[in-house]
Amino acid sequence: MSSDLERRYRRVLRLLPGWYREQWEEDMVAAFLDSWLTGDPEADEYISKAAGPSSAEVASVAGLAVRLYLGGPGTARRYAWGQALRRAVLAVLLLHAVLAVDILVFLEGNRRLVGWLPAPPGSLAVAPGGVWDAVFYLASVTWIAVFVALAVGHYRTGRVLAALAIVPNLAALLQAQLTGIMPAPFGSWPFWALFDLAPVLAMTAFHRDAPPTARRPWLLALPAGYLLVYGPLLALEATGNSAWLPDFPGLCCIIVSLACLAHAPRAWSRRAAGTGLWSLTLILLAAVAGANRLLTLTDYVNDPHLIKVSLAELLIVLAAVALVAPDAARAQAVTPAPPHPSAVAG
Amino acid sequence: MASKPMTGQAFFVLTALADGPRHGYGIVGEVAELSQGRVKLKIGSLYGVLDRLAVEGLIEPDREEAHDGRLRRYYRLTRDGRGALAEEAELRAATARVVRARLGQTGTAAAGASG
Repeated sequence: MSSDLERRYRRVLRLLPGWYREQWEEDMVAAFLDSWLTGDPEADEYISKAAGPSSAEVASVAGLAVRLYLGGPGTARRYAWGQALRRAVLAVLLLHAVLAVDILVFLEGNRRLVGWLPAPPGSLAVAPGGVWDAVFYLASVTWIAVFVALAVGHYRTGRVLAALAIVPNLAALLQAQLTGIMPAPFGSWPFWALFDLAPVLAMTAFHRDAPPTARRPWLLALPAGYLLVYGPLLALEATGNSAWLPDFPGLCCIIVSLACLAHAPRAWSRRAAGTGLWSLTLILLAAVAGANRLLTLTDYVNDPHLIKVSLAELLIVLAAVALVAPDAARAQAVTPAPPHPSAVAG
Repeated sequence: MASKPMTGQAFFVLTALADGPRHGYGIVGEVAELSQGRVKLKIGSLYGVLDRLAVEGLIEPDREEAHDGRLRRYYRLTRDGRGALAEEAELRAATARVVRARLGQTGTAAAGASG
């Protein structure tokens, strides 16, 4: 007969994937109960009613669940999603790093030259110049270090730096919210939630069992990404065609759509191996770009033309996703994954 | 590609199984004793280590025994596990020798400087 203590622990174990519970749950429950019960019926009855899994115990199960859901050993289906999530996080960090490189390159002239870029959210709430500006630009430039740390496999360093980098923007947003000077209903919250907070949370996917990142291509992607993004934009500025420049959410939609378009021939070719993971990655990135576009529509409530442009950008992203979606669906079935630990079940 | 370095937890779990099979909570207790109370494995962490070691072929199930109406599964080292543990122990011992030697040298130098 199961005790209250056992039921409480089994509830915690529901965090784990079903296939894993099938293999290990009874064993884990037995070990957990062994750690509590004394063999004295009276004492055990009291313990069963009064005790429960400690927060450290719950955290250990939650940590195991993250590792299993995001690409640990024996997780054939989840492996594809774990890899895709890790690549999507790196891609978002790459975008941050590219923006930060631009800040370094055009430190003073940046806002004048490419004024369509979102200013750091902090500038909504604080006067320009002084210590605050230094803090915001330092936080922006920190993203280069975060990106490099993750690309070279220093996951813990990357996580700590990223957690620090998002704090100044959060503080500024809270201040703007509390003092009522947020310019649009959501202000810069969508940017902070989708491009700052979400990647930091998703960095849990970079755990010990995650396959090592392909260091060289990602590091080369930083200068290449800078040239690919800023080259055309600066050319538009220089030729007096800055009216064609999209806003930041629009730019993200266009970049993701172009990436889907570039990837589509490989995704549709059955001969190319391993394309599905990139298709899944692009779908995750399209979800981020699309959500940001959708949430920032409220910035243009008084401008029907820009609303139409924004909706068109959303449609373009959806069409681009449709190009790679079939390949992404296949990826979950055919991606090679680490072996399943069923041998242990014996 | 070089294999990943063995974690402290994995090293202690393999050491706990070196002298014979043990069940889950038996491993937790043995690891606490081996580490003089410094490593207190939570059950979630233990099974994270166990399934990783199993996937790497370093441990395998030994037998199951009923205890108070519950089944306890015992684990044992595989041949590869024994080899990996011996290799890691040698590496750690070599590192410890270097540390002792350097501390000894520093101690001697410091004593010489102050004397």
